[in-house]
Amino acid sequence: MTVSLPPDPQTGGRFVSQEAAYARAGFADGARAGRVAQELAAEGFDLDPAAFAQVADPDGALLALARIAARPEAQEHLVAIIRDQRAQARLLAVLGGSIALGDHLVRHPEHLAVFLEPDVLPDAAPAPEDAGAPPVDEWPGEDMQVVPTAAQWAARAALLQAVGADPAAEVPVAATPDLEPLRVEYRRQLLALAAQDLASPTPTELFPQVGAALADMATGVLEAALAIARRQTPGHERARLAVIAMGKCGGRELNYISDVDVIYVAEPAGPDVPEQEALAVATELASALQRACIAPAKEPAIWQVDPNLRPEGKNGPLVRTLASHKAYYEKWAQTWEFQALLKARPAAGDAALGRAYYEMTRPWVWAAVGSENFVEDAQAMRRRVEEHVPPAEAERQIKLGRGGLRDVEFTVQLLQLVHGRSDPSIRAATTLKALATLAAGGYVGRAPAARLAACYRLLRTLEHRVQLHRLKRTHLMPTAPGELRQLARAARVAPPEAEQLEAQWKATRREVRGLHEELFYRPLLPETARLSAGEAQLAPEAARARLTALGYRNPEGALQHIAALTRGSTRQAAIQRQLLPVMLGWFAKGADPDAGLLSFRQLSESLGATPWFLRLLRDSAGAARALSHALSASGLVAQGLARSPESVAWFDADADLVPREAPELNQELSAILDRSAGDTKAGALAVRALRRRELTRVAAAMALHRLDDGAARFAVSEITTVALEGALRVAWEQVLAEGAEPLTSLAVVAMGSFGGHEMAVGSDADVLFVHRGGDGEHEAAAQAQAVAVAAATMQLLSNIGPEPPLEIDADLRPEGRNGPIVRSLAAYQEYYERWALGWERQALLRARPVAGDQALAARFMALAEPVRYRPEGLSAKELVELRRLKTRVERERLPRGVEPFRHVKLGPGGLLDVQWVAQLYQLRHAGQYRSLRVTGTIEALEACVEEGLMAADDAALLIEAWLQGMSIRNGNALWTGKANSPNNNLVPSERRALAGLAALMGYPAGTASQLPEDRHRTARRARAVFDRLFFD
Amino acid sequence: MDRQQEYVLRAMEERDIHFIRLWFTDVLGILKSVAIAPAELEGAFAEGIGFDGSAIEGFTRVYEADMVAVPDPTTFQLLPWQGERHGTARMFCDIVTPDGAPSPADPRFVLKRALKKASDMGFTFYTHPEIEFYLFKSGTGRSTNPLVPLDSGGYFDHTARGLTNDFRRTAIEMLESMGISVEFSHHEAGPGQNEIDLRYADALSMADNIMTFRTVVKEAALAEGIFASFMPKPMGEHPGSGMHTHFSLFEGDRNAFFDAGAEYELSKTARSFMAGVLHYAREFCLITNQFVNSYKRLWGGAEAPNYVCWGHNNRSALLRVPMYKPGKPQTARVEFRGMDSAANPYLAFAVILAAGLKGIEQDMELPPEAEDDVWALTDAERRAMGIDPLPASLAEASAVMGQSELAAETLGEHVFDFVLRNKRQEWSEYRAQVTAYELERFLPIL
Repeated sequence: MTVSLPPDPQTGGRFVSQEAAYARAGFADGARAGRVAQELAAEGFDLDPAAFAQVADPDGALLALARIAARPEAQEHLVAIIRDQRAQARLLAVLGGSIALGDHLVRHPEHLAVFLEPDVLPDAAPAPEDAGAPPVDEWPGEDMQVVPTAAQWAARAALLQAVGADPAAEVPVAATPDLEPLRVEYRRQLLALAAQDLASPTPTELFPQVGAALADMATGVLEAALAIARRQTPGHERARLAVIAMGKCGGRELNYISDVDVIYVAEPAGPDVPEQEALAVATELASALQRACIAPAKEPAIWQVDPNLRPEGKNGPLVRTLASHKAYYEKWAQTWEFQALLKARPAAGDAALGRAYYEMTRPWVWAAVGSENFVEDAQAMRRRVEEHVPPAEAERQIKLGRGGLRDVEFTVQLLQLVHGRSDPSIRAATTLKALATLAAGGYVGRAPAARLAACYRLLRTLEHRVQLHRLKRTHLMPTAPGELRQLARAARVAPPEAEQLEAQWKATRREVRGLHEELFYRPLLPETARLSAGEAQLAPEAARARLTALGYRNPEGALQHIAALTRGSTRQAAIQRQLLPVMLGWFAKGADPDAGLLSFRQLSESLGATPWFLRLLRDSAGAARALSHALSASGLVAQGLARSPESVAWFDADADLVPREAPELNQELSAILDRSAGDTKAGALAVRALRRRELTRVAAAMALHRLDDGAARFAVSEITTVALEGALRVAWEQVLAEGAEPLTSLAVVAMGSFGGHEMAVGSDADVLFVHRGGDGEHEAAAQAQAVAVAAATMQLLSNIGPEPPLEIDADLRPEGRNGPIVRSLAAYQEYYERWALGWERQALLRARPVAGDQALAARFMALAEPVRYRPEGLSAKELVELRRLKTRVERERLPRGVEPFRHVKLGPGGLLDVQWVAQLYQLRHAGQYRSLRVTGTIEALEACVEEGLMAADDAALLIEAWLQGMSIRNGNALWTGKANSPNNNLVPSERRALAGLAALMGYPAGTASQLPEDRHRTARRARAVFDRLFFD
Repeated sequence: MDRQQEYVLRAMEERDIHFIRLWFTDVLGILKSVAIAPAELEGAFAEGIGFDGSAIEGFTRVYEADMVAVPDPTTFQLLPWQGERHGTARMFCDIVTPDGAPSPADPRFVLKRALKKASDMGFTFYTHPEIEFYLFKSGTGRSTNPLVPLDSGGYFDHTARGLTNDFRRTAIEMLESMGISVEFSHHEAGPGQNEIDLRYADALSMADNIMTFRTVVKEAALAEGIFASFMPKPMGEHPGSGMHTHFSLFEGDRNAFFDAGAEYELSKTARSFMAGVLHYAREFCLITNQFVNSYKRLWGGAEAPNYVCWGHNNRSALLRVPMYKPGKPQTARVEFRGMDSAANPYLAFAVILAAGLKGIEQDMELPPEAEDDVWALTDAERRAMGIDPLPASLAEASAVMGQSELAAETLGEHVFDFVLRNKRQEWSEYRAQVTAYELERFLPIL
């Protein structure tokens, strides 16, 4: 029979009411449906439109039915099916849910018999309300993973019989090399399963059994394909081959269509078989097995067998012996490979060998958590997978996208690996079972576990429906409204509309993301901090294990902090209970989680009562995250915030983490000083407090990688200038307090790294003081007053006190420490004209006016000009002197007992090497080239390149070493919080300090040991350049 | 504790082992040994054995001297010369710092890091050395006490006196009992000179094997009342002791050097690997030929390869492509002939591998094959053909390696720095000698 086009719809009014009936049943094209139905009715298959009300795609189902009805062999079956309401519903559900299965029925109408058969799965038990998964005791234990169930045996037997192999044989061999019988039987089983699944009113509840049944069919297919492979491989009996199922097949939670992950293991069949021969045979068998599943034939392929989880992946041999697997896993395997082994299960082939492999690998899975950076590695792997998703798909990916299935599996596996070492009851390979056991064991809260399970069931059901449609391997949500509507109907979303599905899908993804923290961190909170009854509280041992795996070094201490923060019935404690689980994860991402948590506790204790603090953290996820990160990354930030907790507010506004400009700070400072006028002690403290606050801001911005090193060095120098200006003002007030008259004016000139705008957080400030000088008889008194002001300035900034001191260093003045601390302009002039030494000229290269009397400073700079930039450059004698001085500095100042290359300032290729090269060039050439008249090291080197004095490659190596050295120095200060320690110049050898520094410098976690090596290399290269440029 | 460790503990009991020697190698390739009692072993597996590294060449400087040796249970072997009852066993160790990080000074770690890079590129590195050494009856080599070789045999000679044969049998039995397969052994060209070839293995196992081999040969010689030396050139008038080594890279089970039908059955990978080795041969010469004496072998005639070139059946070439055995694609390989028997095998394998991998990474072009006897060419001819000499002395080799980024990267900055300092020191000590040659030649006439 053929379906001919129906007559013109305009011809009869009878169609109109039928059209409406079809539309009501969900048909998109009621008119066409009516015509097709009429045709079918004429053939004797009269269908009530209402029968389609639950069908995903009624139009498609009806058309498919018409095509099947056209096959003469279908007639008898169809008659029986249409008489049987259950069978009819099952048939229509399949035809409306899967085009591919409809096509299959057109090819194999004999399989219509399936619809009259009983259900293949027992009735789905309704999900227990509190766990979302069947109760634990319904699941087989871990050992049972290797013992096939009755359903598994049945699927296997039918598939083996289809290829003419004896299911009872120890080594079944197919009677035929043909691929068709296996594929036809597989499709028949698939059809039976889909019939029950698609007709089920509660597919999310049926899902675990569907996944298990699909995995059972898959292992049966592997067995039957192996039987075919044996048939095709002469000498197959020389090797024992076991096929290990991995991934979803291993976990007995397979999809309708996805790659089936396997690993092969083989051994010689007897002592007389050489290993090489056995491996060759086994490789042949494995290849033939894979071909049997996928090779083109009349019937469509089953699915791809993917052996790429094996040792060495694609590059490794397809088949290995037990010993070879062992050698690999013991020597080379990475964290994720052990994680993957969690799902391993013998699936086909030699059962004893499969079991031996299974048993051999178990201890490795549960020992993996002991490896360094375990959680970090696992998370990095997860991120890589996420980044691999093409951007266009990211928002539609059910499996790999954010909040997708992989996130659920990842959360569950991570928890299993962390706690499975000591608790065998949570080692199940099946995601839902593992989740249920984790909840039963008290490792996660029951309520969030149930919510996660519900998310997982929904996502998996959607994935199944999407794949069933064309039996294609896809994990993408459709975008067309029509397809979304079909999917909503197929997944029994209520109401079955596209918008509803879309909303539910988005909500599910959001929930999955939030539940990770909920499951992983919330159970670390003590009993008293429970938000509701469904929550877990970890036993102390488990809590320690989890914190340790996360990278907390002192889990007991951490637990105490957590308890202290969440204790009590105050509003603060209530908010902390909400906040802390998430923040625990963020601290763990930093280099020192323990310190982060401790600092947070201290902050909370000093700020707890202020209303805005916790509200800010609760309402602004960005602020909480940034604060957690900065606290665990930098001791300096933690200290700074402890002194001014109100600064926590910065973390809520990006603009507050930008260094503030000098004029703005000056304005603020002078307003404060105006108010404190007369109280020099209060004034000095205000200056220092302002400096500390601004340094903390810079440090926080650096710890969060929001400020580059160059900008930070500039900002620190500017803050120093503001502080000096303020201190100078207070010093004048102090000196003139007893009614004295000002006899002179003072200017401050920045020298050294301050002059070069190159200060690290906490560096000393090198300066020169100059005063105008008195007239005639006041000369001596003016000098005395200037000395008093300069000394007071230094003292006010460096006194011991509650605020960190700023050391002012005036040792670069004429005659060094033996000279007067301040000189008049005239005295400087005379001195420099008559006595200036090489090192004094060199020091003046960095001179830059910063504070005090500006006109005076300008006159000083003018007199310094010819001293530092001499047209004749350096004489041969001066050159020798300079070089000798450098070698002396190197010999005398490098501390004993320090490996020279670790010292970034004085060691080979250190900051000094680079600076001295720059200054040597300036002393020689700045008289001639104006562009060299700069105070910064990098600017000077760049100018040398511009003027053609230095090769660009050489300058680049020097600059690289200098930047790296500065960044190590700054990083050490940030990490330790000891801003002015000489140890900041050392590449740390202690491992944790190194990890902290490396994290601040942007090294990915786990790569800190690369840092000393990188430094050594950069410094070695820079040293070679220095040797050449400085001495030749 | 993993299964391998459990196996070792069980074996200790079952075989009644009373001592266990923990072996490791210093930067210069000298074997170091710490003996511990069996009761200490479990602790050694868990935490390692601490020792002061400052006394070990190249390990650390005084201020961070604490080192920890962690035994690798897969290297557990009985020492056959220590007797069957109350036996002694050995394990090689990885050296780590007190906080558990691999020590950058550990040669075994240097090789492991190079192998990791190969493994990231999908390769396994196999080596097969032919180790030459001398057997002496007595002597110290001074003019008052000249060296007396064990025999006066020549290449492949069957020496009638038999002591050499006895010695080789003893040594080979010991090696085999320690799981080190010997492929081939014969008398070499010099009097008392022997060669033993080890069956190919992955580079790390082979480096361990070579360290074991040297000890076994010395022990076996002592047992026969003679002594053995791996010195590169013990006697000026006789050939030196080289360690020609065959290399191949495998991708899984497939030999990546083999390409049926290509010239000499050599794949593109093999040719690029060779190009890399030749390109860097001068730079890593200080590692493959690490002593003052090594340059006496290279430049003392007797067929030591000293020019950077390759050939098929050319004994004068530094890199030789052996004849392909039809039907055996697994055996495709190249033979590097520059290295001597005193090299540190861990470091030497690491630099050669790294040079070859660079060749592959950068797709280097293999220069034309040298078909002539390069020793017979004039300097000008060699220059015209672009054939460079290897460094002429330890001083030159140090200077060349000092400029080598490849060596620094492969050895790590620490070992690189140490080797250079150590070798400059060795050269300056050597330069301060007044030799017998100078006295004989100049004293009478000046």
